Amino acid sequence: MRRVGSARPGGQRGPGEPRPFDGESTSSKGQPRASDGQPRPCDGEPSTTILRADGLSKAFSSVAVLHEVGIELRRGEVHALMGENGAGKSTLVKILSGVHAEHGGTIRIDGVETRFANVRDAERAGIAMIHQELNLVPELSVAENIFLGREPLIAGLVIDRRRMLTAARDLLRRLGIGIEPELRVSRLRVGEQQLVEIAKALSLDARMLIMDEPTSALSTAECRALFKVVRQLAASGVAIIYITHRLDEVTELADRVTVLRDGRHVLTARMAETSREALIKAMVGRELAESGRGRASSDGDVLLAVEGLSLDLPTPRGWRRALRDVSFELRRGEILGIGGLLGAGRTEILESIFGVDRGLRGGRILVDGVEAAIASPADAHRHGIALITEDRKGNGLHLASSIRDNITLASLAQMSRFGLRAFEAETSLARRVVDALGIRCASLEQAVTSLSGGNQQKVAIGKWLATKPRLLLLDEPTRGIDVGAKRDIYELIFSLAGEGMGILVVTSELPELLLLADRILVMCEGRMTGTLTRAAATQEAVMRLAAPGARNASGRAAA
Amino acid sequence: MNALSLISRTKLYWGLLLIFGLGAGFSPVTSSGRNIFLSYGNLTDVLRQVSITGLVATGMTLVILTGGIDLSVGSVMAFSTVVCAMLLTKAGWTAAAVMGLPVTAAVIFVAVASLIHFVFKGLARNAAAGIGHRAGATLDPWRGRWLPLLGGLVAAGLVLAFLVPQVATKFGVVGVILVTACVGLVLGALNGVIIVAGRLQPFIVTLAMMVGVLGAARLTAGQDSAVLPVYTGTNATENFELLRSMISGVVPVPGVFFLVAISIFGALLSFTSFGRYIYAIGGNEEAAILSGIRVARVKLAAYLFSGMLAGIAGVLFVAQYRQGKPDAGTGLELDAIAAVVIGGTSLMGGGGGLAGTLVGVLIFGLLSDILQLHNINSNLQLVLKGMIIVGTVLVQERNLGHLLGRWRPAIARPSPQEEAALERPNQTPQAPRENAHETA
Repeated sequence: MRRVGSARPGGQRGPGEPRPFDGESTSSKGQPRASDGQPRPCDGEPSTTILRADGLSKAFSSVAVLHEVGIELRRGEVHALMGENGAGKSTLVKILSGVHAEHGGTIRIDGVETRFANVRDAERAGIAMIHQELNLVPELSVAENIFLGREPLIAGLVIDRRRMLTAARDLLRRLGIGIEPELRVSRLRVGEQQLVEIAKALSLDARMLIMDEPTSALSTAECRALFKVVRQLAASGVAIIYITHRLDEVTELADRVTVLRDGRHVLTARMAETSREALIKAMVGRELAESGRGRASSDGDVLLAVEGLSLDLPTPRGWRRALRDVSFELRRGEILGIGGLLGAGRTEILESIFGVDRGLRGGRILVDGVEAAIASPADAHRHGIALITEDRKGNGLHLASSIRDNITLASLAQMSRFGLRAFEAETSLARRVVDALGIRCASLEQAVTSLSGGNQQKVAIGKWLATKPRLLLLDEPTRGIDVGAKRDIYELIFSLAGEGMGILVVTSELPELLLLADRILVMCEGRMTGTLTRAAATQEAVMRLAAPGARNASGRAAA
Repeated sequence: MNALSLISRTKLYWGLLLIFGLGAGFSPVTSSGRNIFLSYGNLTDVLRQVSITGLVATGMTLVILTGGIDLSVGSVMAFSTVVCAMLLTKAGWTAAAVMGLPVTAAVIFVAVASLIHFVFKGLARNAAAGIGHRAGATLDPWRGRWLPLLGGLVAAGLVLAFLVPQVATKFGVVGVILVTACVGLVLGALNGVIIVAGRLQPFIVTLAMMVGVLGAARLTAGQDSAVLPVYTGTNATENFELLRSMISGVVPVPGVFFLVAISIFGALLSFTSFGRYIYAIGGNEEAAILSGIRVARVKLAAYLFSGMLAGIAGVLFVAQYRQGKPDAGTGLELDAIAAVVIGGTSLMGGGGGLAGTLVGVLIFGLLSDILQLHNINSNLQLVLKGMIIVGTVLVQERNLGHLLGRWRPAIARPSPQEEAALERPNQTPQAPRENAHETA
């Protein structure tokens, strides 16, 4: 039995002979090895468990994000891990890949209880993770990326380029990936980069591969190529945990599926024995049952009108048109949802209205019927527009600063007299916001980092509510926060709309979009593909408009 | 725990006390048994010595707090010593006067016009307070444009009326300070404009400025970049001696400049929205932009102030060393950065402040003084200085407890759960506890 922590012989093997999934190294336990012609080796066959986790729990600050979750992984299977955002998928795989060393519960590999102190431990045990954000060095070649930090050396000094290239070429060929190892990674498309990541993981002798939403940024053809590689890997005995929330992919690829919801294990089933409906129900759970607000007022004045909005973003290879001819109106008290896939231009709409300078903007933006010259967020602020960004840790908050300083930051200019700060007024404003939004904190002077995701998001929203905006732009307002806080934020959005604020909300979670929006604008590849009224809006209707080409439609028909 | 964290948070001041104690304890003693280090003359000398670096470090603190850096301050200071010495010792339209007067008039015009605009805007906002935050954001053309314009022109005219006659004779102390401060300010503003408008790295822009201004200083000095001697009484006006003197024999004038500047800017950082914005930009520039802060203006202001203070520091240099010298500022920017960093301001921006810089500057000054009192070889002094910078910053960055052992102090500490977990590695105490909470 292999012991985790002791270096595997493969770990010291030079990259001259990487054997990621050849017969000797991984199929040595008498497991019947499927030929490459059969993509699903273990459907219905007895399989050996290589990883078993029980009772995994994890809490951040005081918020528990994972309760007693178990998962079992068998050789050669593609195990889909599903769940909505914030369901605990990422936390679970971060535990399995050694990112979170402190957790409750046990992990057994090949029956031996192990504990990963860090990512390296997990790698030694044969677990590799491919993150959603790719971790490649764009300026290095494919081969250099694959062997980064483990380059074959001549006399222990000089990098042996030829050996590295040969090894990389072998590896890629065995994976059926047609990428030249000399190419610089920056010249590859995202899908190809994803494949390079896989090759890199396998060059580490991974027996278990965790893929976190690998297709979120891929085109149809790239997805096909990826699926092919994934199937081939599984056929060779590698166990794969495949995180996604696209049902099409699960039905197409997975052998078994595990669903998490609110940090709890809901269901594990063989794909053959479950259905799309069952999976949706398991994922969405009670949230679908939640009701939106009552009748939306559609008779308010037009607060915001966008006419012929276009946006060109600079790229290394020239300009990319991110938005073309987007026009819509938003009334007072209306919640307008923007749906679409990642990269469809949803965030760009919000940023364009808010004056964030990313590229060349065209078209007109009218606030209260008057054309507004919004060239910067400061201008937008003056027009009473507020943007709560999707990346609250990156650009929504000053994490190291206090709750008070964060909440008052956007209103400071209004509160100051001749530039002098009014400390008492600031504190009382912050206190009012904290009370109104139910932000749970020990003190206003507490650093925002110490808050849970939901409370951080409330601080980010509170910062802008303190400026008394007329128009609120929300980008993924509930990303990464727990269910209780989500409900608080939904209620907040409803009550703000009830008070007459115009709200534009972007979210990737379809149930959330349907729940919140009075009207849904669907984007696809920078264009508006349709507007749905509340009555006409269903998940299917939105997806049909959001999908580029007919891939999703056909996938749905097949299922 | 509380006492420890208090000590940790105030360690900088303890460091200052420690150095002071070392200085006093090991000070050489006069034949009559008096402690030289503790003598009043010595301590005021220290204050005089640090005032130039101190002024520059004050401006540098603002810039570093925004997450930037200003490498050009040494050259700007040197340039201003040349301008200052030239104005003091040479009558007529010298290069310094030709450059300095229009620049000063322009700066005064802009400053006064902005000030009037700012006041009107503040008044309008006060009047509109409580109605709605957007009210008062725009001013009518008269108060918003014409009055500030007029006020600026009048002020600029007055300044020219004050300065132009001095060109024919020689400049007095007030005129010199005014002109050099404005020259420094313009150079700083140039830094700021290039950084903000060109979206360039402050390091590169100010590096280029450092090189360019050094050249400009040499060109201005003329004659193989000669040193311009300043002898008050013989070739310069008597009243320039003021800058070397002591106020009623108690406080050295350069020290007053430093202390006043650091107090003004300290107040600016602590009590104004501008100060809060400086920290916000350094903490997370993107988030600051997205909070509707006019980040470009705030950054510009930081570089502008840095340049201005470097300009004033140039005058103090001329007073102290009796010369204007194009190479006067060599290494000054590094001394200033070192003082700021020793004072606990993060080079990443967003954390620290001028209280720390004051202490950092004093630590530096006391150290040099002690080494000089002991007649330590000046090259060895540099070696020791370098070691002490590293040592101090090490103590600053790593918390005391970190250096001493496992104990972690209060700043940015982990949550209770994580802390508990840290104390008990390789156990799994959390799951049952969490569940107990759940059911309770």
